[in-house]
Formats: sequence, C-alpha cells, structure tokens
Amino acid sequence: MDLLKLTTLLEDLPRDRTHLLDNLGRVRREVGPIDADLSDAVADHMNIRRGEVDEVVSFYSFLCVPTDVVRVCIGPVCHCLGARDLLAREQEQGNGKRVLGVECLGHCDLAPVVMRGDRVEPEVVHRTNDGPSTALARADETLTDYEARGGLAALREAPEPARIVEDLKASGLAGLGGAGFPTGLKWEAVAKEQGPRYVVVNADEGEPGTIKDRYVMERRPHLMFEGMLLAMRFIEATEGFVYLREEYATARTRLLGALDDLHSAGLLDGLDVKLVVGAGAYICGEETAMLESMEGRRGMPRLKPPFPSQVGYLGRPTLINNVETLAHIPAILCLGGEAWAALGTRGAQGVRLWSISGAVREPGCYEAPNGSTLRELIDGHAGGATDEVGSIVPGGAASGILPPDALDVPLTRDDLREWGAGIGSAGVQVFPTSYSPLTLLAETMRFFAEESCEKCTPCRIGNRGMHHVLAELERGRVAMPRRQVEEWLEAMQQTSICGLGQGAPFPMRNAFRHWPDLFAALGEHEASVA
Amino acid sequence: MSPPVGKSVTFTLDGRRAAAPEGELLVHAAARHGIFIPTLCHDDKLDPYGGCRMCVVGVEGSPRPLPACATRVAEGMVVSTNSQVPQFQRTLTEMLLAEHLNPNPGGRPNELVDLAGDLDVEAPFILPDAKREPYDDRNKFMGYDPDACILCARCVRYTQEVMQCSALSLEGRGPHARIVPTHGYSWLDTECELCGGCLSACPTGAIYEKFEEGTERPERELKKVKTTCTFCGVGCQLDLNVDPETNRVVKVTSEPHYVSNEGNLCVKGRFSFNFIHHPDRLTEPLVRGEDGELHETSWEHALDVAANGLARVRDQHGPQTIGVLASARLTMEENFAIQKFGRTVIGTNSIHSCEAT
Repeated sequence: MDLLKLTTLLEDLPRDRTHLLDNLGRVRREVGPIDADLSDAVADHMNIRRGEVDEVVSFYSFLCVPTDVVRVCIGPVCHCLGARDLLAREQEQGNGKRVLGVECLGHCDLAPVVMRGDRVEPEVVHRTNDGPSTALARADETLTDYEARGGLAALREAPEPARIVEDLKASGLAGLGGAGFPTGLKWEAVAKEQGPRYVVVNADEGEPGTIKDRYVMERRPHLMFEGMLLAMRFIEATEGFVYLREEYATARTRLLGALDDLHSAGLLDGLDVKLVVGAGAYICGEETAMLESMEGRRGMPRLKPPFPSQVGYLGRPTLINNVETLAHIPAILCLGGEAWAALGTRGAQGVRLWSISGAVREPGCYEAPNGSTLRELIDGHAGGATDEVGSIVPGGAASGILPPDALDVPLTRDDLREWGAGIGSAGVQVFPTSYSPLTLLAETMRFFAEESCEKCTPCRIGNRGMHHVLAELERGRVAMPRRQVEEWLEAMQQTSICGLGQGAPFPMRNAFRHWPDLFAALGEHEASVA
Repeated sequence: MSPPVGKSVTFTLDGRRAAAPEGELLVHAAARHGIFIPTLCHDDKLDPYGGCRMCVVGVEGSPRPLPACATRVAEGMVVSTNSQVPQFQRTLTEMLLAEHLNPNPGGRPNELVDLAGDLDVEAPFILPDAKREPYDDRNKFMGYDPDACILCARCVRYTQEVMQCSALSLEGRGPHARIVPTHGYSWLDTECELCGGCLSACPTGAIYEKFEEGTERPERELKKVKTTCTFCGVGCQLDLNVDPETNRVVKVTSEPHYVSNEGNLCVKGRFSFNFIHHPDRLTEPLVRGEDGELHETSWEHALDVAANGLARVRDQHGPQTIGVLASARLTMEENFAIQKFGRTVIGTNSIHSCEAT
C-alpha cells in the first residue's frame, strides 16, 4: 500500500457518509484494492465504525479487486456463446493475474465479452436505428450536435406542469427499467410531497440481456439529461443524481462530458447534478437498494411501504426514473402525448428500445413500437435468427422463458401475461435449440442466487435451492418433489422483500409450463393432478 | 412487553375485532390477543428488520403479505394469519434448515430447531454451498460456529444499535454472506469488550459461551437463580445457571424484562463468575492469631479485632496515617458510608476508590 498516496488522498475525501461509496471507489482506483487496512483507514477518516465500512466494502463485487482485473461475462447470452470456455482460457493465460467470471456486463450484443480493466473486448460497435423517439442512429458528440438535431426544445419551451402531466399520461409511458409504473403518476405523486425533493436516474442497468441504457448514455447522453432536467424542474428539485453501474466506463466518460457541456451552457445554474458510480451489485438497480447504496450503506432493499416517492433519498421524497424512460420524455413533450402513444402498434402505446441479443445476425438495440412481436424484432431489426430458435427470454432474467410458439405474440404486458411472462426491461435474448432451456433456467437461478443481497430468507435460500433442484435434475436426480418446489416458488414470490426474489419464480414456472417433459422427473404438481 | 401508550385503534385479526394502541407492532398486538406469530430476526431492543420473513401475515389491501415485526397497527386494518401464512412458515423453516448444518454448537437454545419441531418440518436437502468457512477465535469467553448462523443479523444490529460498537460485520452478499467479527479478525482485535450481548441476541446459539464446564448440558436443563450482579453498583439483574447435578454455577444469563439492565450485561457480569467456586475464595472471616497464621472466626470477633487495630493506630500515630480504600464493587450508598466513616470516625482525608482510576 502506498501510504503517502493514501494520506494525501484521504485529506481530499469528503466525510459525509453519502460519499462513502465514491470515496471507496477513489481509494480503489488511486491506491489499490480495498483490503482491511484501507477499509479501516477510510472508516477512521470518515468517522464511521470500521465494521460498517467492512460491511459495505464486502457487499460489492469490485471494491476488493484491482482496477485492471480481467472480467469475463458469464451472463446467459455470453454463457450460451461459450463464456465458460473463454473464462477457462483467460484463467489459463492469466499468468497468475486474477480473472473473474462476472454477471452480465451489459454488452450482450458483442457476446461473449471480456473486460480488461475498463476496456471491452471485442471492440464496441453499436447496431441501432433511427427511431422517432430516441433517434440513436447518429451519436451526439457535443451539446451543439444535440441541439442541431432539435435537442433541448422541450427544456427551452418549458411547458406548464399541468401540460407535462397530461402528455405523460396520454403517452402511456411507464417505467422502462422493468417495473412498468406509469411515469406521469409517479411524477405527480412526488411533486405533491413536501420538499426538498430529489431526482435519481437509475443507470445501474444490470438486467441480463439489457443494453439499452448503455446505448442511450454512450450515444445520446444529453437526451437523458434533458429528460432529467425536465424532471428536476417539474418536481422543483435542485439536487439530482445519476447512479451508474461501475462496468459502464464509456458511459461514465460520456455522461461527465455531457454534464460539462450542460454546465458551460448554463443549463445547470442553481442545480447540482452528481454522478454516483456503483461497485458491482445487480441488486443496486432495485430502487430502494440504490438509495441505501447512495447513503453509504449495504445495497439492501428497504421494506416497502413507504415508497421512495414519499420516503426516499435521505428520507426525502425522491423521483427515481430509468435512463430510457427519461430519454423518451423530450420526444413525448415535443410530439405531444397522444401522437407519441400512436407510435405503438396493435393497441399498445408508444415505442421503446429493445435490446436484442443471442442467436441473431445483427444483435443490438433498436427502437420499435410497443406491441411488436418477437418475429418482427428478430427479422425486422436484428437481421434474423442465426439458428433454429429454441427459447426466448423476452425482457431480462425475471421476465420468463418463452418457447418458439410465442414468436408471433405481441410483446405487451397483457399479451405476455397469458403466457405467464412479462415484458420487463425488453432485453430480448434469443437462444438456439442447442442450448437447453434447463441449462438456461439453471444459469438464471444461479444468477439470482449470486446477486441476492442475502437479507431475506426466501430470496437468499430459495434461489440457491431452485438452482440446486435444477442442477440435480440435469444429473437425473430429484432433490425435491414438484409439489414442494411449487411451495418454495410461492414463498419466494409472496414473501421476498423486493422484486429480485419476487420475480425469480417466473422463469421457473414458465419453463414448467412450456417444457413439461424436462421436469417430468419431479412429479406432478398437485393442482394439475387434481 | 407493555403496549405503548397512545390512541387506541380497532383492527380485525383473523375475523375478530381487536383493539390496540395506534402504532403498536402487529406481532405484539397479535400476541396480546392470543395469536402467536413466530419471529427469528426480531428483537424488541432493535429497529424492525423484517429479514427472516417468518412473521409475514396477510394484510388486506397489500398485494403481498407483510412482516408483523415491522408493520404497525392502524385503524381498520384487516389482518389474517390463517390463509397462506402457515404454509409460508413451514416453507421458510425448510429453507433455513437447508443451510443449518450445526444446530447445537454450544448448548444454547435454538429457536429455529424449536420452530421446526412445532411445525413438524425437516430440511428437504442440505444446500451444496451451505458449509461456511469455519471461524476460530482465541478469546476465552465466546465461541462462534458460522454453520449455525441464520444471518438474521440480530448480533450485528445489537452491536451497532445497542452497544454502539464495531465488533461484528455482516460481510459479503448472496451465498457468500457471512457474519464474523469485523474483517474476520479475533473479537479481541476489534472494538469488542466481550460483553456477550451478541451472544444473548443470537436465536440459534451460533454464538455461545466457551467454558470448559457447563457446555455439555443444554441451557434449558440448568436451574436459573435470579440475583443481582455483585460487580458494581448498577445492580444488573441476572440469572445464575446452576447445573442441578453438581450444584455449580456454569453460566450467567439475563432476560430482556429485567429491571435496570434489560438483559444486557458486561464482560464481568456475564463471564466472570468463576470466583464463585474458586478454591482461593474466602468464605469465612479470618483473623491472624498469635501464631502468625490466619484462623477462621466469627464476624463479630473479626470486626472487633479490626476496630481495635484501627483505633490503636489512630491513637498512637494520628488519623492521617490511615487511608481508606473503597471498592468499585460497592454501591453508591456503601461508598458514601465508607467515606463518612473515614472522615468522621477515623478523621482522615485519605480516601480512595478504585473507580477513580
């Protein structure tokens, strides 16, 4: 440890607890991986108990590893495309250097993916289109670029709050991070609460198969910020945060650049917008876990109610929106809510960004109408499938697993409900027939188990139990009869604290329903016997 | 626990109308109405946590059941403990048992095992990654077996919320989560003062007393004798746990409802009881005879000898040649009487107590 460096750095670190994660990140980058001594040094400097800093450090995947560590993505798409072999190869060639297998790195369009420090391999290319709402086809290098394409029009026009609510409601825009809460209602609810209020942008994109927020931030960061500034103005917040996942290094640079631009243009006068960088924990994408993380504690979800719109960051009303959600707002205000809603198809409202990866020719992120079918997305945007399609995950790990029969189902919440699935974050992952749904499911449950925060029993143990049941089944053994598996799934869905544990049963139940033969050994579900 | 004073509200509990002070935790309100809701991570000394989920109950209007240990009674609330709740309790118990490798490391009561017995539930399997890294501590008083831990974090929260110290940490995430003294150090290398409060908060006995004597017999078979701690004037109430066979004190416990200490003890009160049966302990007054040896005698005779000796020294050499040393183990009233004795009876100002150092 370079003590001299540490001493100078410590003098520079703010002591408020909300800076803990940021401080630890800086110590990691400038001094080295956080070991017990560094953890204690930060704790003593910030006047926090050493044990509590230890708890925070150990919660995140990356604070204890060097910044140049090699990370091999073992998310489902990478796994399907040979990540395990790649990991073994990297470990062999690593010459003693640490090589980590990590959960989805958010570059599924390039799978299989390795990150050496901040550098992504293979080289990043964006495959996207010029949709009417986000127009990702051309990247904005500067604010001038952004303005030249009609950017800032909504912010400059400064519509009345009442009109904004009207447009948001008419647009049908609902949270695009996965939970799908109507955005207009959320904005209205937070604005009604007693100030001070905060805005937090959820840029902790970690849902396997989901790359859309990265595309927005890497290509059109100003677009997200325009949405964010509109939100801040709407709820009269002077402080706002963007919580960005650590793995998105390019997005980090782009966001900081865009913030500089906005600052120079005077658009941040009287406002304080900060970037908070995570440290490797999927669960921090859960909104209350994110708030805990921002407040310098372990990223463990809070009990709800109360909801963040009432009791959020530092106990104040907080508006939390996903990156993509905010990116659509300028277009909604410029086009008008109804016109934007009319961009949808088959009765669905508006458009969204679809991350399409796996066994397709042109994996990428495409804007397409809500209500599109998987076939339209795969053939119309992603260049068609490379292989016979065996299974499809429509929207991230907890959204479910669909059979090829579902290729022509309109991807809306209601239509998918009939299939027992959800639309989630619209991270469409296409798997070939050679990749068994059983393996996909086992990997999904392993992911949930690994990323559970541990706080509640049904999530911490339930997911590991389900992974065990599937791993045993792959070996032809029955760890638990179907009836009991269903009891566990029900307990997970009903009694888990947050969406991670509550959502984990969906892919299991989907797979039971669509591939019953694979699970026949577990016996019959009592309900189906009756 | 007595209910908080405040406005009374009426709510429905399993179809019956019930009254409770507004804001009372559901788990307490239900208990007062005769409905026992099991809890593992709940501790009245700590802020509601809602982690183990054992206490979930149905609440009308909520899309999912809510933890009774963290939900407060409100006017008109409709609460149900009978629909899906019993099955949730059984399943959650199964889950906890699936990573509960060592249910009885130190003979302390294990609430999870009790619950499993009550519900007649067994582990369907043991998780392949249930085994945790063993932990060995060089301190003499407390042992810890991570394999008996259910991660309810009562111990960690006790250190943070009650003792305000940094001794234990909930480290890691997901399957790698574990509770250890901070950084996995020995307790002696943390801020720990070995008060044993974490031990008393642990529902499964994962943290336990590390004595050569008394660990073979489960705590429940010991006879409890309630008494007042003799170590200082605070007057903590505690239970001496006596092995009924040997009639020896083998451990000290305390209960949350005991006055003045609420079940909390310090390192002396909880662990330093071996003087009771120590062979060097004086149990009778002794007076040195003309032969130069100490002889057992009566209190009356012993006090006479002491009084005569003190009076002789005072009369021959003056009162300032006598000093009075009081003990930290005395009460305030006793210490007052001693200094009074020194100043007025003997006439010295040389009075000291080891509390002052």
